[in-house]
Amino acid sequence: MAIKADIKILVVDDMTTMRKIIKNMLTQTGFTNISEADDGATAWPLIQGAIKEGTPFEFIVSDWNMPQMSGLDLLKNIRSTPGLEKLPFLMITAEAEQGNVVIAVKAGVSNFIVKPFSAQVLKEKIDKIFN
Amino acid sequence: MNFNDNPFMQEIVDEFCSETSGLLDTLEISLNLIEEDTSNLKELEKFGQVIDRIMGAAKYIGATEMATFCELGKAIGYKSSQINEKALIEIVVAVLFDAIELLRKMNSFLKAGDDKSMSKLNNKAFLTRLNWLCEKFKDIERSSCTITDDVTLNQKSIDELMKSLGL
Repeated sequence: MAIKADIKILVVDDMTTMRKIIKNMLTQTGFTNISEADDGATAWPLIQGAIKEGTPFEFIVSDWNMPQMSGLDLLKNIRSTPGLEKLPFLMITAEAEQGNVVIAVKAGVSNFIVKPFSAQVLKEKIDKIFN
Repeated sequence: MNFNDNPFMQEIVDEFCSETSGLLDTLEISLNLIEEDTSNLKELEKFGQVIDRIMGAAKYIGATEMATFCELGKAIGYKSSQINEKALIEIVVAVLFDAIELLRKMNSFLKAGDDKSMSKLNNKAFLTRLNWLCEKFKDIERSSCTITDDVTLNQKSIDELMKSLGL
């Protein structure tokens, strides 16, 4: 299955530099419709708002460690919302601990990626999620 | 690091340096609060969370030494937030203040593209101190913002684990 270039993506990270890097990688990969949020707490209303407007996000790329609402809590909110049970969610983290992977998998993460990663690795993860 | 041939990367490094400078101020405020009240362990946890942000981006831009400092600072911050030993916390705070000062210098050299001054910093000796301190907390379980502290995995291991979980 080919992924549409204009798939609606939300990048969530509390570090501006990281958001810029990830957005650039996604753009390099060919994606054109990328929004961003600086925390799970700011991402969640954006996700809900997009649903109300009838243009829901189709892919979430989120950091794990954020101060107000972690990526894990954002994922749990998403999964407990009717209609979002299958929303593709890629978790990005600097931490790679086995327990965390299991927790994220149990919470319904689509895939997991460890910092630092290249645009190629990101593309591979995305292909894996959507194919 | 010089990115004259890569304007995007130069822009990223400039942004990183500016953002890091603000985050280092935040870290210093946290350390001041802990110094005033060594029982303020929440602030140590916050320290670990903020330094984690710098770490992730530092790894990306290839600021390896900064990333290593942050990694150790993060582990020390989180681990020491789980103890209530005034004398040890005082040492932790003192070492972390020094770490922040060195990170500030590294950040300003990075911003200026001054590799020569960067290489003159006595980072190795200080890294030994940070490692020594981190070692003091080896029996403390949680070293990160996350819930458990199991085996640290690389991307390949994670992929294997995900695969074994049917993903």
